[in-house]
Amino acid sequence: MARDAGKEAEEEGGEFADFLADVSKEIAQRVESLDKKATPAAAPKKKTPIAADAGVIVEWPNVADRMIEDIR
Amino acid sequence: MSVVNYGTREITCKIVYYGPGRSGKTTNLQHVYSQLPEERKGKMVSLATETDRTLFFDFLPLDLGTISGFATRFQLYTVPGQVYYAATRKLVLQGVDGVVFVADSQSRQLAENIESLQDLHANLADEGHDPRTIPLVMQYNKRDLPAAEISSIEDLDEVLNFRGVPHYAAAAIAGKGVFETLRSISTLVLSRLSAPATKGA
Repeated sequence: MARDAGKEAEEEGGEFADFLADVSKEIAQRVESLDKKATPAAAPKKKTPIAADAGVIVEWPNVADRMIEDIR
Repeated sequence: MSVVNYGTREITCKIVYYGPGRSGKTTNLQHVYSQLPEERKGKMVSLATETDRTLFFDFLPLDLGTISGFATRFQLYTVPGQVYYAATRKLVLQGVDGVVFVADSQSRQLAENIESLQDLHANLADEGHDPRTIPLVMQYNKRDLPAAEISSIEDLDEVLNFRGVPHYAAAAIAGKGVFETLRSISTLVLSRLSAPATKGA
């Protein structure tokens, strides 16, 4: 399994290892922030507002007319 | 050059060491190469004349391995400093992500430093880069020479560093300041990591 270069750098020591550790840290921070931008948290679904008279058919005559028309 | 490619999960940075002839660009790369662990040592390509001055360019690929899921590669180049290799310098600058300007601290080399910096700006502009915004770090090399022979950091900064970018004193031949410079330019380049929407840009 491939090991992360940053972890390897910590074990290596020396100038190059310090450099690699710093670069790894920088990339990790950047990638993390970019990933957050790329996949923003799903926005909460907007609920359809329910009117106070929900469930009450207020245009009854029109609805009845359309039903009669459909039957014809 | 694309710094980050989300599709292939790769980060590739091209860093060019620029500066007048004999300022120590190749020496910088040689020190980096000397510090690489054996298992990471690739090939450093260095084409030099018989007098050891860079004829074409040096190329040092740094394969940093997988970092945060991205295969990360740094490519370090030098350009030939001599005035008559103008075409080569332009070629090497193609697709550059960041520049290290290696200035020679010797007082008598000040004019050459200025000329080389002007040359860099002209070539960057020709390649479509904005010389005012491209990641840039100044390295004032040869600080190990006697004080009477070299300009002060303040003087060099005033004449060369009008952008106010990070600057580093170095004695590349002894390895001093080499990795500090590389770390600085790398951070500047990586700060430009683009969002996935602009992958391949």
